[in-house]
Amino acid sequence: MIPTEWFLVLSAILFAIGVCGVLTRRNGITIFMSIELMINAVNLTFVAYARLFGDLHGVMFVFFIMAIAAAEAAVGLAIFISLFHHRASIDVDEANLMHW
Amino acid sequence: MSYAFDTTDIVLSVVKIAVVLLALLNVVPIMVWVERRGSALIQDRPGPNRVGPFGLLQSFADALKFILKEDIIPAGAHKWIYTLAPTFGLLPALTTIAVVPWGRKFFIEEREFLGRTLFEGGRWFEPVIVNVNVGILIVFALASLGVYGIVAAGWASNNKYSMFGAIRASAQMISYELALTLAAVSVLLAAGSLRLTDVVWQQSGTFRLFDTIPIPAWNAFSPAMWIAFVVFVVAGFAETNRLPFDFAEAEAELVAGYHTEYSSMKFALFFMAEYMAMTTMSALIVTLFLGGWDIPWYNEPPTFLGFILSVAAFVAKVALLLFVFVWVRWTIPRLKYDILMRLGWKVFLPLAFLNIVIVAAFIAMRWL
Amino acid sequence: MLEFIVFFFFAAVAIVFALVVILHRNPVVGALSLVASFFALAVMYVLLDAPFLAALQVIVYAGAIMVLFLFVIMLLNLQHVAEPNTRPVQQFLGYFASATFAAGLVYYVSKYAVLHALPPTRFSTSAQAIGERLFEAYIFPFEMVSILLLAAIVGALMLSGKAAVAIR
Repeated sequence: MIPTEWFLVLSAILFAIGVCGVLTRRNGITIFMSIELMINAVNLTFVAYARLFGDLHGVMFVFFIMAIAAAEAAVGLAIFISLFHHRASIDVDEANLMHW
Repeated sequence: MSYAFDTTDIVLSVVKIAVVLLALLNVVPIMVWVERRGSALIQDRPGPNRVGPFGLLQSFADALKFILKEDIIPAGAHKWIYTLAPTFGLLPALTTIAVVPWGRKFFIEEREFLGRTLFEGGRWFEPVIVNVNVGILIVFALASLGVYGIVAAGWASNNKYSMFGAIRASAQMISYELALTLAAVSVLLAAGSLRLTDVVWQQSGTFRLFDTIPIPAWNAFSPAMWIAFVVFVVAGFAETNRLPFDFAEAEAELVAGYHTEYSSMKFALFFMAEYMAMTTMSALIVTLFLGGWDIPWYNEPPTFLGFILSVAAFVAKVALLLFVFVWVRWTIPRLKYDILMRLGWKVFLPLAFLNIVIVAAFIAMRWL
Repeated sequence: MLEFIVFFFFAAVAIVFALVVILHRNPVVGALSLVASFFALAVMYVLLDAPFLAALQVIVYAGAIMVLFLFVIMLLNLQHVAEPNTRPVQQFLGYFASATFAAGLVYYVSKYAVLHALPPTRFSTSAQAIGERLFEAYIFPFEMVSILLLAAIVGALMLSGKAAVAIR
C-alpha cells in the first residue's frame, strides 16, 4: 500500500505547477488549463484522504467537483469565445473592461 | 488493492491478451478484403480479383504498398504530434476490447503435465482480459480518447482540410458520445451491474412471448430496449466515424479529412485503427444488446466444448455486425453536417433519455 | 512492489506533462499534455482503490472537457498566438513565488498532513456504494449540481450564441 503522504506530495506539486501557470502566463486558455490542473490536484488530495479515513465523503466531493468543473469549462470557454469576438485575442491583458 | 497473482493466473492472462490482440489485428486484413469485395458486390462490379483466389491476398498487397510508400512529414506540420497522432488513434481501439467478455467461463480440471501439477485444485477460466466491476465505464473512458487521434492528426498536419476534419470530429464525437452512453445506461439499469460479464449473463436464457414462443432474452429483443438498441447502433456508427457519419474524413468535401497529409505506414495505422474501432464497437453492441456469447435456445455447458461454442457464437455475431457496417457504408450517403448535429442533440439524445425512463418504468412494474 | 513502480512512473508523467502545459507556448500541445497528465491522475485513483473515479476522470476530463478546450483552441485558431514577454520582473516573481509555495507545501504536507494513528480501514468505492451515498446523504447537493449545470448551459449559450453576437 502506497503511503498517503506520497499522493499528497504529488498533489501539492501539481497544485503549485497550476499556480505557476496562472501567475506567469497571459494566454487565457493556458491559464484556464492551469486552473483545471489545480482542481485535479485538489481532487487527488480528497481521494487520498478518503482512502486514509476509509469513508466516501472525499469521493463524493470529487464527484461534485467534476460536475462543477464541467460547468465551469462550458461557461469559461464561452467567455473566451466572446472575448475573442470582441478583441481578436485571448490575452488576459486585453480583458480589462468589466463590461463589453 | 491486492495483487495476489500466482503463476497460473499470469500465464492465463498473457494467453488471453495474446489471443485477443492477434484476433483483433487479423480482423484488419479480413475486413479490408470484405469492404472491397462487399462494395463491389453492392455496386455490381467485380472488385479486386487478381491477387489470390477471389482477391483474398489483396490486403497483403495493400500492406506491401503501404510499407513501400514514401513517409512524408509536410513542411509546417508539428513534427511530434504529427508522428504520434496515429498511435493516439490506435491505442483506444486496441485496449477497449480488454473488458469485453468473449466466451462462457469454464472450469479447468487439475491435471498432471510433465511431472508438474497444473491448475491446482482446478480453476475457472473467465474469457475476458480484465473483469472489473466498472467495465462499461472503462469502455466509455477509453472510447472517449479515440477522438484525440483524429484531432491531433488534423491539427498537426497544418492543412485546412485536415483541420476542418478535426474540428468536425471533435464536435461530432462529443455529441454522439452522450447518446451512446445514455443508450447503454438503459442496459445497465436492466442488468443492475456495470460489469459486462453480468450484462451477458442477464441476457442468457429465454423469455416467452405471449407465454408460448421462447425468445432469447437478448436486450435487443426486449421491448423496453428497442429504442436504446437503435440509438446505440447509430451512435456507434458516429463514434467510429463510418458512413453515414464520416465527417472527419468526408472525401467529397475535405479531400481525405484528418488524414489528408498522411502517407505510408502512418496512414496504414489510421486505417487499422478504424477497422479495430469498428470491431470493438461491434463487440460492444453484441455484448450489450445481442446476448454476447449466448447461443439462442441452447444452454452452454461449463466445459471446454461450451466455451468453444460460445466463442464461435460471439465471433459469428461480431462478424455479422461488421458486415452490417460495410453494408451501410456502401448503401447510405453521407448526411449534411448540420443535420448530423441536429440529429445527435435533438433526436438521439432525447430518445436515449426516453428509453431510460421506459426501462425504469419496466423495472418498477417488474416486467424486466 | 509493482504498485510503487506504477506510482512513480505515473507521478513522473503527471508532473512532466503538467510542466509542459504551463511552459509550452502552443496551447494545442498544452491541451494534449494536460490530457496525458489527467490520464496519469486517473491511474492514481486506481492505485487509491477508486476505479470508478478513475473511469469518471477519463470520461469527464479527458473525454469531454479537454475535447472542448481543443475545439475552442482550433476554432479560434489560437495555436500561433505570440505571447510577448512584457513584464519580465513580474514573471520572475511569479516563478519564484510558486516555487517557494511548492517547496513549503510539500514540506508541510509530508511532515504534518497525515495522522499515523489511524488503523487501515476497508474502503469501498463501488458504483453501488457511491450511488447509495449520492441519493441519500448527498441528494440535495446532487439536485443543486443539476441546476448549476442547467445554468451553465444557459450561460454558455448566452455568451457565445448568435444572440450575443447580434446584441453586440
